[in-house]
Amino acid sequence: MEMFIDPHIHVTSRTTDDYEAMRKAGIVAIIEPAFWLGQPRTQASSFKDYFSSLVGWERFRAKQFGIVHYCTIGLNSKEANNVPLAEEVMELLPLYVGKEGVVAIGEIGYDDQTAAEDRFYRLQLELAKDVNLPVMIHTPHRDKKKGTTRSMDVSEEHGLPPHMVIVDHNNEETVKEVLDRGYWAAFTIYPHTKMGSERMVEIIRNYGPERIIVDSAADWGVSDPLAVPKTAALMRRQGIPEEHIRMTCYGNALKAYGQSGQMDEQDWLKKEPVDQSQKHEGSSVLRGGQTPKVEDSPGESDIVEN
Amino acid sequence: MNQSDHLKSFFLKLLQQQTDDKATEWLLLQKERIEEDPTDMKFFIAFSQASRYFKKNLFVLSKEQLSEVNHLEKGFRPDTWDQLQAARAFLILNFPSEDATRWLATFHKLFETADMHEQQSLYAALPIMPFPEAMTSRAVEGLRTNITSVFDSIALHNPFPYIYLNEKAWNQMVLKAIFLQRPLYRIYNSDIRANKDLANILSDFAHERWAAGRSVMPELWRFVRHYLNEENIKDLQKEIREGSPLEKKAALLACHSSGLTVARQLLDEHPEIKKDIEKGLIDWEYIGREFEISVPK
Repeated sequence: MEMFIDPHIHVTSRTTDDYEAMRKAGIVAIIEPAFWLGQPRTQASSFKDYFSSLVGWERFRAKQFGIVHYCTIGLNSKEANNVPLAEEVMELLPLYVGKEGVVAIGEIGYDDQTAAEDRFYRLQLELAKDVNLPVMIHTPHRDKKKGTTRSMDVSEEHGLPPHMVIVDHNNEETVKEVLDRGYWAAFTIYPHTKMGSERMVEIIRNYGPERIIVDSAADWGVSDPLAVPKTAALMRRQGIPEEHIRMTCYGNALKAYGQSGQMDEQDWLKKEPVDQSQKHEGSSVLRGGQTPKVEDSPGESDIVEN
Repeated sequence: MNQSDHLKSFFLKLLQQQTDDKATEWLLLQKERIEEDPTDMKFFIAFSQASRYFKKNLFVLSKEQLSEVNHLEKGFRPDTWDQLQAARAFLILNFPSEDATRWLATFHKLFETADMHEQQSLYAALPIMPFPEAMTSRAVEGLRTNITSVFDSIALHNPFPYIYLNEKAWNQMVLKAIFLQRPLYRIYNSDIRANKDLANILSDFAHERWAAGRSVMPELWRFVRHYLNEENIKDLQKEIREGSPLEKKAALLACHSSGLTVARQLLDEHPEIKKDIEKGLIDWEYIGREFEISVPK
C-alpha cells in the first residue's frame, strides 16, 4: 500500500474516526507540532500537561490505529506575547526536547511580528542549536511574505543551517525565496486560509519535488486530516510523476525530520500489523470489552458494537 | 554496601555486558554530572536522553542474577524490563537522596513530565526508590491511566502494590486489571492480598458482564475462590455449565479451593479435570497463560 507521512497535524483535536480514515488512506506516521489550542492558556502548567500529552497519551492513541506519532516541542508565536507566561514556558522546554520522538523545535516563529515574539523565537533557535534538533517555522498569516523572509534572516543570524529548518505554510509568493535559500518548504493544504490541493499540484509542477513537503495542519478548525493522501491522488490524476509524489508526501518529510535522529522508517516498516488481538506483554492497547480494530474490518452498519 | 549501592553496581555490570561501551560510558558520565549539579536539569535531560544510547532490547538476567537481585528486593523483576529501563533505573538510583524533600520534589516533576516509556521505567522502579512509601499515592494515580503499558508497569511483575497499597487501592487495581484484561497471574503475591470485599466486587462485575452478553475472564475466579458461599457458587455452576473449556477449568479450579459440599460435588462430576488439578497440571498460572494466548475470543 502507498505510504504517506503527514508532518504537520494537530491530532489532539481530532477524533478516532479521523485516525481510522487516516490509516485507511495510507498515513503511516504523523508529526504533531506543539501549538496553541484556540483558547489561550493562562498557566505554565497547562503547557506542561499539553507537552506531556504530546509525548504520552496522544502517542498511545495514534498507536492504536497503527500510526506512529512524533511531535515537535516549542512555544508558539501567539502565546509568546504573554511574556511572564512565556518565560515560564521557556523553563519547561528543556524537560521535553530530549524526549523520544521529539523531532524538532516548533512550531515557532512570528504571528503579529512583535518584539516579544522575536525574543522567544530567537531563544528557541538557540535551544534548537544546543540540542541539535531541526526547527519547524510557522510563518505568519498576515504580512506573510515579509514575515517569512524575516524568519529565515533571524534563523541565519543565529547560525542555523537552512537544511535544519523547515519553513511551513508557504504559498506561491514565498516558495521561491525559501527554496532558493536552501530551506525545506512545507505547504499546508488547509481550506480557505492556506493552500488548496490544486494550487499545490501547480507548485510541484513548477518547482519540482526537491525539498517540498505537503502537510494538512488539520486541527480544531474546518480542516482535512486526509489532505496529504488527497493531494497525492490529485497529483497522480494530473500527471505528476510517482517519484515526485513519493518525495513530497513521504520521503522529504522523513529526510528533514529524520535529521533529529528520532524518526526512522523502520519505526513503521518493522511494526507488526495493527492486529490488537496480538497480546504481547505490555503492548496490548485494548480496554476491556472493546472489539479489536483489525485492518479489513467489516463495513459500516447501524449497529454500535457491544 | 547498602541496598542502593548493590543495585547500582548490579545494573551497571549487566548493562556493561549487554550494551555498547559508548552507552555505558555515557551513563557513567551522567552519573558524575548528576552528582555535581545543584539543579535537577542534568538529571532530567539524562533521563530523557538515555533513549539515544540504550535500546529497548530485552534486559537479560540469568537465573543466578535474578535470584541475586531478588535477594536485594523481594519480588523485583528487572528481567521483564528492557535495557533502556535498566539504564534509567541506574540514573534514578544515582540521584542524590540525602535530602528527602528535594528528592520528592524532583521525582514528582519527573513523573509529571514523563513520556510513555519514561513512565514505565519510573513505575517499574518504584520498589527500589529511596522513599517508596512516599510514592504510594503516585502509584495509585498511575493506575488510573488507560495506557496499558504504563498500567502494567505498576500492576504486573512489581512488588510495590503488594507492599504499599491499602486494601481499597489494591482492589481497584485488580478490578482495573480485569477490566483491561491484563494477565492477572503476573500480579505479585496476589493470593495473599485476596479479600472478601474484592470477591464481592468481582461477583457483581461478573453479573454485569453476563447481563451485557459478555464473558468473564477466567482468572477472575482466583480472587473469589476463598469466599465461595451458597450464593456465588451458582456463578461457578453457570461457568461449568455454559463456559468455554478454559472457563470451565477455571471454575473447577476455584471449586478446588473451597470446602463447600457443592464445590466438591462439582469437581467429582468432572473427574478428568479434577485429576489434572490434583496433578498440578491445571493451576492459576496455566489458566492465565492459556487465556492470554486466546484473547480475544
